[in-house]
Formats: sequence, C-alpha cells, structure tokens
Amino acid sequence: MTTPALELRQITKRFGDMAAVDRVDLVVPRNSVVALVGESGSGKTTTGLLALRLLGSTSGQVLLEGEDITHLSQTKLKPYRRRMQVVFQDSYASLDPMMTLGEIVGEPLGIHGIGSRAERREQSQAWLEKVGLDGSYANRYPHELSGGQRQRVSVARALILGASILVADEPTSALDVSVKAQIVNLLQGLQADMGLSMLFISHDLSVVRSLADEVVVMLRGRVVERAPTDRIFANAQHPYTKALLDAVPTINPRARRRRTFLSRDEIAARTPRFHPSELDAVPLIDTAEPQLVALAGDHFVEAIVAERSVP
Amino acid sequence: MALVEIDDLHVSFSQYEGLVQAVRGVSFSLEPGESLGIVGESGSGKSVTCSALLRLLREPPAKITANTLHLGGHDMLAARPREISAVRGRVAAMVFQDPMTSLDPVFTIGHQIAETITAHRPVSKDEALQRAVALLKRVEIKNAEAVVRYYPHQLSGGMLQRVMIAMALSCEPQVLIADEPTTALDVTIQAQILQLIKDIQIETGMGLIMITHDLGVIAETVDRVVVLYGGKVMETGPVEQIFEAPLHPYTRALLNSIPGQTAGKQRLVEIPGASPNPAHPPAGCPFHPRCPMAIAECHRVTPPLEEKRDGRLAACIRVEPAMVAA
Amino acid sequence: MTGFILRRVVSMLVTFIVVSIVIFLMMHSIPGGPFDGYEMPLPDNIKAKLMAQLGLDKPLWEQYLRYMWGVVRLDFGVPYQSPGETVMGLIAHAWLPSLTLGGLGILVGAPGLTIPVFIISTGLILVFAVWLHWTPASGWGEPKRWILPIMAYAAVPLATYARYARSTMLDVLNKPFVSVLRAKGLSERKIIFQHVLRNASIPMVTIFPAMFVGIATGSIFVEAMFRVPGLGAYFVSSIDKRDYPLEMALMLMISAMYSLSYLVADILYAVLNPRIRVEGGER
Repeated sequence: MTTPALELRQITKRFGDMAAVDRVDLVVPRNSVVALVGESGSGKTTTGLLALRLLGSTSGQVLLEGEDITHLSQTKLKPYRRRMQVVFQDSYASLDPMMTLGEIVGEPLGIHGIGSRAERREQSQAWLEKVGLDGSYANRYPHELSGGQRQRVSVARALILGASILVADEPTSALDVSVKAQIVNLLQGLQADMGLSMLFISHDLSVVRSLADEVVVMLRGRVVERAPTDRIFANAQHPYTKALLDAVPTINPRARRRRTFLSRDEIAARTPRFHPSELDAVPLIDTAEPQLVALAGDHFVEAIVAERSVP
Repeated sequence: MALVEIDDLHVSFSQYEGLVQAVRGVSFSLEPGESLGIVGESGSGKSVTCSALLRLLREPPAKITANTLHLGGHDMLAARPREISAVRGRVAAMVFQDPMTSLDPVFTIGHQIAETITAHRPVSKDEALQRAVALLKRVEIKNAEAVVRYYPHQLSGGMLQRVMIAMALSCEPQVLIADEPTTALDVTIQAQILQLIKDIQIETGMGLIMITHDLGVIAETVDRVVVLYGGKVMETGPVEQIFEAPLHPYTRALLNSIPGQTAGKQRLVEIPGASPNPAHPPAGCPFHPRCPMAIAECHRVTPPLEEKRDGRLAACIRVEPAMVAA
Repeated sequence: MTGFILRRVVSMLVTFIVVSIVIFLMMHSIPGGPFDGYEMPLPDNIKAKLMAQLGLDKPLWEQYLRYMWGVVRLDFGVPYQSPGETVMGLIAHAWLPSLTLGGLGILVGAPGLTIPVFIISTGLILVFAVWLHWTPASGWGEPKRWILPIMAYAAVPLATYARYARSTMLDVLNKPFVSVLRAKGLSERKIIFQHVLRNASIPMVTIFPAMFVGIATGSIFVEAMFRVPGLGAYFVSSIDKRDYPLEMALMLMISAMYSLSYLVADILYAVLNPRIRVEGGER
C-alpha cells in the first residue's frame, strides 16, 4: 500500500466546548478524488482548512505524503505548501483585483523563488492555456472575466507549483449550471494528467457522482459514512446519507413525489445497528457508543454494534 | 382572464459603461392556479423580468417598456405609485433568494409580518400579530408564539425562508413569485421548502412563478416552463415535454449537462463558452455562439418565438414546425 | 445589560487613570515652570518659596497623587494665571460660551468641509459685519453677537455630519431588505421613516462622541476671531503658562467627556441594534 497523499488521523477542532470537527479520520490516496460531503455545520470546510494547516487543530494529526505536518510552524510549513494547494468557492474574492491574471498565476512561483521573471511569465501563460484560457489573457484583470473563467484562473494558480494534493472547497457552487460541467471536467482532466490527488468538498452530491472515487459524508463534525462513490449511491446505510440522496430533486417531472423529512435530531437518533457477524472487521473498541464500523466493500458507517451475546 | 400577462417586455439599464439590455422582448402568461417555472442562468433576465412586473426596479436607471404588463387585471405600466403599492404584497407577493438579508434586522419577525397585513387590510396591530402566529404555524414553524418575538439574526436560513413565505402569504395573494427561494439553503432544507411552497400553492389555488437556474427544482415543482437565455425566451411548454423532448438546442444542452444522472466517473457534457454579457448581447440568436447547431443565418436573424408543436413555442430557426392539424 | 454597562464603567475608570498619568507626565516634561516666563521675572529665593507653596518642589509622584486626591473630591486647584478663582470656577464660566457656540452651531449649516474655518470666519465678519452691518463683528455679550461665530463654527461639524448621514442612508437604501419592504407594498414614506432611518441611525451614533467632545470644548480659531470668552483659549494658554492645575483639569475633563460619550454611544447602540443586545444563534 503506497503512502496516501493526505491523511487526517482523529483530527479534532473545538471552538469553546463545541466540536466543529470531531475525531475525523480521512485518507486521500494518491491519484484519486475523495469527496467530502455535508451541509452547513457539518464541519467539512473546517476539515479542509485543517488539512491545509490553514487552521490549527485541537488534537489529531495531519500527514502530507506520510510526513507529519501537524505541529510545524508556518515558516517550516512553507516548503510543504508547494505540495498542497486550494481552490475556494468565491472566485471573485480569491483573486486580487489589482493584479493581472498573469501576475496572479505566476505569484506562487515568485513566492517560492522559482525561475527567472521571464521563465515565470512563460509558465503562467502556459498554465492559463492549460486551463482553457487564451495566453493573451495574461494581461487582463479578474473583473473582466466571468465566474467560470475566474475559477479556471484559481485552478491554474493552485497547480502551477506542481502540487500533489488539491483541496477544492465548493469550487462549482457559485457557478451557472452550464459552466459547472466545464470546471468539473477541467479538474477531472488535470487530475488524470498530473496524477493529482483531490479532496473535493461539496454539498452537491450530483456533482460528486461524476468526479469522485470515494465519498465521505459528514454530519455535525463527525464522519457518518464513507464508501466508494457507486456504493454510496446504490447502497447508503446511514439515515443522513439517505436523507441527502433523497433530497436531490428528480430530473423527471413524471417521477415527482412527496417526501417525508426527518430533523437532524431525529436522524441522529436513528443510528444504524449492526450485529458483529454483519461486519467486515471486528471493531477495535468494544463500546455501546456509535463508532465507524467496516462493512463489505470498503464501506464504513457510523453505527452501534449490537451486543455480542444477544438472545 | 390571465393572472399575469406579459407581452414584449424590454428592460434596460443605463449604466456608466453603456446600455445594459437585461430583458429583450419577453412574453408569457400565467393563468389562475397555474405554476410556471422560469429557467435561466445569470444574465438571462429571469429575475429582472419579475422585478419589472412589480415595478421594483429603480427607474431610472432602469427603463421598462412592453406592449402588455398586466398583473391581476392591473396595468402595471400605467399604474400610479399608490396602485402599485396596493398590488405589491396583496395581488402578487415575492419571496427572494437570500433569507438572511431579506428582513430588517432591527424589527421582530412578528412586527414585519404584521406590518404587511396592516398595509393592505384595515385590521389592528394585535389582530395582525395573531394572524402572524397562525401563518408561522402554517409554514411549519414550531413554537410560533415565541418566534414572533424573535429578531431575524436569531433564526437559521431555513427558518427565515419559512418566515418569508409566511409573510408573502399574509395578504392571500393571487400569485406567489419565488425568485431562487432555495439556492442559498442546504439541500435537505431546500427539498422541504419546495414541498412547502408546492403544498401551499395547491391548497390555496394561487398561481406560482418559480424563478430558478436549477432544472431539478423545475422538474419537482411546476407545470409549465419558460426557458430564458440572453434576455429572450428560447422555449416554452409543459414541463414533461420540456424534459422529455426539448425543442431548443439550449434546453437540450442544459438538460444534458446536469451532473449525477448516471453512475460512474465520467466526463460531463459541457456547453462551451460563457453566458452572453447583457451589455454586449450577440447579434441574432443569443445562443448561437455556443450552439452546436448554429449556421450563418443564426447570426443575422433573430429567431421569432413561434409555435413549433401544439402548445409549445421555441425561438430557433433550426427547429421545424410540426403541428397536428386542427 | 447591567453587566455590560458595569464592565464599560470599570474600563472607563482605568482609562481615565492611565490618561491622567500620561498627561501629568507629559505636562511636566515640558521644561520650565510657571514662574520662568519673562512676564513674571522673580528673584530666585521668592521663586523657590512660591514653588514650595504650590507644592512644586515635591517629587512628581507625590504631586500627582496630591492632585488626583483633589480631583476625587472635585477640587481641581487654582489656576496659576488667574489665582483669584478656582479652576472649577474658571471652567464653569468659560465653558458656557463654548458650549452654546458649539451646540447652536450644529443647528446651522454651511459648506464647512472644504473651506477652512478661519477663512469662513473672516469671510463672515467681512460680509455681515463690515459690508452689510447686519451683525456685530465680535464679542459675546448679547445673542445677536452669537450669530457669526455660530455660523462659522457650525460649518465643519455640520458638513461632516451631513455627509456621513447621506452615505449611511444610501447604504441602507441599497440593502436587500428594503426591496423586500417595497415588494410587500409598504409606502415609501413608511419605509424611509420607520425602517431606513432606524437602521441608518445606528452607525450615526458612533460618530457622535468625537463630534460632541470637539464641539463642547470650543474652537480656538473661532473664539479667537470673534473674541468669544470660551474655553478654547485656555487650552493653549494653560500649557504655555505652565498653569498645571488648569491644564490637568482641562485634559481630565476632555478625557472624561470622551469616555462618557462613548459609553452613552455604546448604550444607545445596544438599544438600537438588537443584534448586540439579543443573543443570536440557530434555532
């Protein structure tokens, strides 16, 4: 088993006595896309920030390609930053309106002291073209572009250093429907070309379906389900995952249906129960509390393991 | 008589950079009890159309012209301010996109619902507040009696949107106009709010105009669809037919690019290019720069919106009319 | 709410003490004393005796504590430049004209932002007193003498205030909830007077303290130009003449006024803005 590109072990972030992220384990293998899915308050964005060390964790570990970067100071982190990059949701706020696109895309090279000025200019132009924009765009300013085009610039800037892992936090949420597909395809193509690993954070399960290898579902700071994409869509086990899938509108007017809704509290109260015989592996901790258990096919669910000596 | 009748609506804004043509000849109607979806992306003019209907745009810089702009029998172009104020909230009520910024932060929920009622009905403040509590219950807000005294910042987005719906219903309008009501909400809340709107619409028999860019919302909620692009109508028709047999290349492309329809990692179908800039709309058909079926003629001629099938209109010269003879 | 006020009062007192120490030290750091000026040349032994009488020979910390002890009992000492009265007395009679000048000044309007106040003053004297003979040129005795100085003084604060008020109102008018109010069918009048004004007044409250203090303490220029017997002149003269008691009292007064008006502003802010006074959070 090769070292994963990114690994979070029991990562926790508390604000006061509230745990925004509660003992989360997350692995992003090399050359794969892991989707982190959840609604507001789930902790998915915080998890992304913790992974990038843009936020300090309360406890737990962050490992970048096997190396523990949890407690490195910001100065010591600088060389590691080349390997992990981010694209955010708001393309307008992500780009300095006073800089040209060429300057924006080339800035990371300057920060890390790579190449001469001429070389940097060449590289930024090359990358603008790689993300589907004409090289002449290097002299334009962010406000001259559409949302989708700006997002392409963010991607170029993120990848110009040759990162091994990209964290994308809702990169398509603010985009028009017809443009979402463009950005998803762009990311997919670059990922395949560069062997990039991606942590794709989104609330949109539909977008995730065509892009991710594995889906991790978060609720109130905890991982409640984790499985390969197709298994999540075909055989979700946790009531929250099922609720998320159920809420997606059907693209068939004839298949319109009424839904019943459970509140988050009601969902939390319906933790699935499994008998040890149904599990793929015996859980390490013998407890009545909900924990992540392994089902067949790399499928993990937060569940309660029923009593072993049960009548 | 139609509840809403719009014929050849044009809305433009004179900005510093020049004239921005947001709506360039939009026509549609809504019958009582009908639900209509207006689908469009940014720059399509979908929100501006309905804002113009209620004369909510600041004029100038906005300039509104139309052959017909009727709402509940009122001529909204000719109406004077007093009539316009009377129509707003009472004949047609709107629910907007972001509930977190739609309410005045310094007044209570109850006050803001009650003032809508007292603006249109001769009732006392107390009666109006009681009605507000009843309305909050109707939109499934638990402990409504307490919530009337809350301030907006004390509620979540989903709760606030329910409040907005309650407020819109307060004067029993004939038509509810919802402008992207669920875009800013979580997906599970979104489903709940849509179902609530739909239930209320059926229960009260009011008309519904649902403005959205999300085809899923359209599929779930409305009976008829109007597709807008670049300030013009591309296609109209019953919702099942729009989804099963779209006529216009834009509608087809939009439907094809919806992600998540099939299992497995895959490349999505894209629509190349970007939406037209309302300040510089393309000549001829607004979609032609991105259209897989475009020909030279599409640049020269603006396709008229005409009936291509029974009850279905489309604005595309590449679509042949084929109708069943009467 | 009471906790909030109590905390603010405590921090106010702490600030007051810190400010008083800083001013005291700065005051005494200016070389020279009250009797070193050429106006009052004195033989050394008499000077020494006077200094001892006024307690100026004691160590600084002792002088400070003595003075502050007096302050607590509202005894601000005697102004060196006017030993016939107490500091309190002097401030009392000099303050009223400044306050009247400033207060009435706010009620009058003028293009105060672009034209410096001493030019406005000169212009006003020229036009209304010299050419038109409509008003007396200076002095303060009767109300008719107040007209010119008030107009001159009103200019800047009023223009600042008006500009700020305008931009705040515009900000609020452009907020999404105002469109919603229109969509509900409320009259424009109701929207502006009930909703917009209330929202706009919140940021306005924050500029009041500084403006209030500036106004209430007098404008040196205007008072000089029109010979208004207000506090303005004393601010400069007390430093110049090393009139420690008066100087300390004036500075402490300003400091206290700032603190108090900011406290009032904070309270007003909480009253007007429910987001401050009511806990938020998901329900």
